[in-house]
Amino acid sequence: MWGIALRHIFLTMHQLERFADLFIFPIVGLLLWGFLSQSVAFASSNLAVFFIGGLILWTMFERVGTGIGIDFMWDIWERNLMNVLASPITLVEHIGGLVWVSIIKVIISIAAMWLIAALFYGFNLGSLGSSLVFLWANIVIFAVSLGIFNVALIIRYGHILGPLTWIIPFAIQPFTAAFYPVSIFPPYVQKIVYFLPLVHVFEGMRYTLSTGKLDLVRLETAFVLNIFYFVLAIAFFSYMFSIVRKRGTVAKL
Amino acid sequence: MTTKLLEVENLTKKFPSSVKTSEGKGEFTAVDDISFSVSAGEIVGLLGPNGAGKSTTINCLLGVIKPDSGSVTVFGMDLQKKRTEIMQKVNYCSAEYNLPWHLTVYEALLVFCHLYSVKNAKERISELLGLFELEDLRNKAVRELSFGQRARANLVKSLLNRPRLLLLDEPMASMDPDIVDKGIKLLKKIQKENGMSIIYTSHNMWEIEQVASNVIFINHGKVMAQGSPLELTKQELKLETKEPDLREVFIRLTRRKEKPL
Ligand SMILES: Nc1ncnc2c1ncn2[C@@H]1O[C@H](COP(=O)(O)OP(=O)(O)O)[C@@H](O)[C@H]1O
Ligand SMILES: [Mg+2]
Repeated sequence: MWGIALRHIFLTMHQLERFADLFIFPIVGLLLWGFLSQSVAFASSNLAVFFIGGLILWTMFERVGTGIGIDFMWDIWERNLMNVLASPITLVEHIGGLVWVSIIKVIISIAAMWLIAALFYGFNLGSLGSSLVFLWANIVIFAVSLGIFNVALIIRYGHILGPLTWIIPFAIQPFTAAFYPVSIFPPYVQKIVYFLPLVHVFEGMRYTLSTGKLDLVRLETAFVLNIFYFVLAIAFFSYMFSIVRKRGTVAKL
Repeated sequence: MTTKLLEVENLTKKFPSSVKTSEGKGEFTAVDDISFSVSAGEIVGLLGPNGAGKSTTINCLLGVIKPDSGSVTVFGMDLQKKRTEIMQKVNYCSAEYNLPWHLTVYEALLVFCHLYSVKNAKERISELLGLFELEDLRNKAVRELSFGQRARANLVKSLLNRPRLLLLDEPMASMDPDIVDKGIKLLKKIQKENGMSIIYTSHNMWEIEQVASNVIFINHGKVMAQGSPLELTKQELKLETKEPDLREVFIRLTRRKEKPL
């Protein structure tokens, strides 16, 4: 597992654009939208706080969710995947290594965003208190499920489907209620989006930011949904992997 | 039986095919009921034209592809059940694949040391880089290496875990003869010193003649002939000679239409 992690840590160190992944994108995004939200929300400061909190949590999700698929594709792009598949490590360890590395990276990104948000907007991520840990855990689990789902698609259909790694988070973003309350959606849409753990995470975040209390029901709901999607992602992955081992297309990636 | 390091029995691999054939419902048999074994310290050459089924066989031996039927036993263990344990002492190299492009040679090798749980990784890497005359390149990115240097770096990777069984799938494909010659000499030297077994695939009979003590000739997924280069020559060309001539054997066997052995 550490081997896979190390491989991507080295890769990151060699590539300037991957440092951009860690710092520049999260920070520039935060600056841009942070200032915008402040200018729009002169009157109600809650709105700005909700927005900045949503932005930081969303970035955590997006980094982990896309990072896993992208790191996996690096081994395809560099024609190294077969060497890794031939090694004794199991697929679980392989995926475990990818998850590990994206968690390390996201912690670095969060630290940077925490600092920037505090410096520029007086927004302290720590004001979420213990809620932050639970929100973060739920976000990471869902992002990991998405990452595993992406890798399964890539393994089965090749990196032609690679762009889905970016497209899926982009496509679900409007429905996650990251930047506005769920109540904005029409009632029937609300019923559907409640199946997304992220919706409960962002609602929970706003609740904590405005009341200072933990929204246990939301966190538990998110967690139960997360377990469901995680199991689904693993099952989908195992199924896809067994197909490509039979068809022999793993060796052709 | 027990001295066999690797035993392959009735290995068969079919791929779904868009072309319907008389034998199956849109299936294409890439490896067709192959059986062979490899003893400790033996170098077996898997020779056959492009598309013969060499890589498919190797990938089945690595457990990367799942065969339709047949069994693979390595170090007396069933590959299906004990893959992780077996692969700890197996390694693989093919010119088709690279070490991670953007990493330095040293970093790439260190990563594989971790994947193979190699102890004293630093010392092991230095030792092998020395043997393959790559010390000066250890801090160069893999992408900056020349073709021949990359082939050597790949070989270094495949020796990191001191494998007892080394699977080389056209490791020197499209290298110039000088590099191939050097590579093979080095490989044979290392093999002699630590007594590992090697399966070496190639469509180049000259390479196989240099490297292998036992040759398995496959075509259309079937074993067509088997023996030492000299035996094969005598047997297939039906003449008394002291010089192996796998080129002639290759041409005969590839063009032969009748039933294999
Ligand atoms: N995943 C696959 N799906 C379908 N056909 C395949 C696949 N892999 C290999 N083949 C076919 O099987 C045959 C044997 O391929 P391969 O084992 O790579 O040959 P070799 O390594 O001897 O050149 C070829 O005809 C090849 O096109
Ligand atoms: Mg091949």
